[in-house]
Amino acid sequence: MPSEETYFKHSLRVNDYLCQGCTTCMRTCPTRAIRIRGGKAIISDNKCVDCGECIKVCPHKAIYIKQDDFGLLFNYKYRVCLVPTTFIGQFEEKYKTRAIYSCIKKLGFTHIYEVEHEVSRMVDLYNLYMDEHPELTTFISPYCPAVTRLIQVRFPSLVDNVIHVRAPLELASRVITKRLMDEGASRPSIGVFYVTPCAAKIAAVKYPVSGKETYVSGVINMDFLYNKVLLMLHDSDKLTQPINHTLSSRDVLWPLSGGEAPHFRGAHYAVDGLRNVLEFLEKLEDEAVDAPGLVEMRICDQGCVGGVLTTNNRFVARKRLEYRARLFERLEHSKIRETGSDDCSLTDEMVDVMTIPEIKPRSIYKLNDDFAEAFKMAERMKKIEKALPGVNCSACGAPSCAALAEDIVRGDAGIDTCIFINRHSQASEDAIRSIWGDRVKTKEINKDNNGYDSQGNH
Amino acid sequence: MHYSFNIERGNFTDAGQASSSVKRTLKQLGVDPVNIKRTVVALFEAEINAVAHAYGGRIDVDIDGEKIVMVVADEGPGIPNLDLAMQEGWSTASAKVREMGYGAGMGLPNIKKNTDDLKIDTQVGVGTTVTMTVYLT
Repeated sequence: MPSEETYFKHSLRVNDYLCQGCTTCMRTCPTRAIRIRGGKAIISDNKCVDCGECIKVCPHKAIYIKQDDFGLLFNYKYRVCLVPTTFIGQFEEKYKTRAIYSCIKKLGFTHIYEVEHEVSRMVDLYNLYMDEHPELTTFISPYCPAVTRLIQVRFPSLVDNVIHVRAPLELASRVITKRLMDEGASRPSIGVFYVTPCAAKIAAVKYPVSGKETYVSGVINMDFLYNKVLLMLHDSDKLTQPINHTLSSRDVLWPLSGGEAPHFRGAHYAVDGLRNVLEFLEKLEDEAVDAPGLVEMRICDQGCVGGVLTTNNRFVARKRLEYRARLFERLEHSKIRETGSDDCSLTDEMVDVMTIPEIKPRSIYKLNDDFAEAFKMAERMKKIEKALPGVNCSACGAPSCAALAEDIVRGDAGIDTCIFINRHSQASEDAIRSIWGDRVKTKEINKDNNGYDSQGNH
Repeated sequence: MHYSFNIERGNFTDAGQASSSVKRTLKQLGVDPVNIKRTVVALFEAEINAVAHAYGGRIDVDIDGEKIVMVVADEGPGIPNLDLAMQEGWSTASAKVREMGYGAGMGLPNIKKNTDDLKIDTQVGVGTTVTMTVYLT
């Protein structure tokens, strides 16, 4: 493939030993980022948005998320586990939060900090952006990094509608780092490790859209930590970690679809799941829906509890978090628990750290920077698409006939790769015709390639 | 490049295919998002007009190096008073169409706002042809 500038990097990897080239992931990918080459799936860096759908559908478990070496932890004197409430939602209600946190500490962490402590400051940051942009009526929550990337590559006209604020984990890591430094720790001695439910959050930490410095030292996959903690919970009954709980019942629900709503006034939409997100963005772009207010979107069904690195069923995890939220609410009412004792003021410096200066459009559709050239390519692509059978069999290694047509005009594939066009014997002709009937173009196409040579040129 | 689509009377759910298809091509050409949006909004409004008022019709779209020309031609009642129809809020849509969330009287004014050139040929009892042009560069 022609070399091009790489804008995005990812933590998704294909295990070549396990990959069978079965095309399942390729057909599912919402940005058509996957092709089969050499019998294996390959992922295009600039097209992938880290949504994780490929991992969810892979029947061979051949796609995985690379995580940091757990041993990295011990390079630091102060080892902070930055945990989202999604993690707590993985455990049955019978396990107390403090027992779970005790286990995390036993694994080698010295501090635990919940990302959702930053909810109130995040709300202030959202409101700042919304106040600064009275010309916009629809605002898209920046919560799910996969949504932001999806908008960059597929819906570039909507980039300004995304609230230009970094993920809450960035603020949380900064707040806890500063707090430890105030207590005398030096910056290099502090390691902050985020427990991630998905690939998108890793990419957001490691290869941020903002281009700004991160306070997160490493990322731990949620399923990895879950397995370790669960074993310990079973092993011991005297695990109690006194925790100073300040999360409010509403904060607990923030990672769920609809979790941001209770914190804002005005109209609100909660859209979750890849298909729903795509449909909504499409309509938003066409102005076919009128959606003034805040649109909260999560690529995963139900929100982060549907993340690819979670271990328990998303509906069960949702119910568990809701149970914990109700419990907190009761404790708040009976004044057993106090909330809001943390300083939750937003400083100018935090605003500076958390603001994303620009979210660049990175259209994956644009055929060429030069309009005249793009026009020629689009014309050719339309003609090639007509010559292709339109059955989207994927035998060419592209997800659809339209994608192959695009690959051909971009110079990434030849029209010969289409097995319908390139059938040589009467036996293969008959076999294909018996399956696809009239969709099989006449042999004439094969002879002259419908006016195109093997590179798709006239 | 040429595209054509059929319009079916009263089929609001399938409306928008023409604008989606045109949108895809304009994205491939790297047309400025503002112009893409103008084109899509204008085409969608014109299609909805035909779906709501006419007995059927046809959409023809031609894209060349500098502009996109969209012709939405319907067989329908025609527009008796074009000046009134161009006014915001004026609508002859049926109660049924309004119930579906259309017919706010913003169609033609919205098309006018989003196109560089607009021509409307209408004949009462015969039909209406709306020709819209958006310059791409």
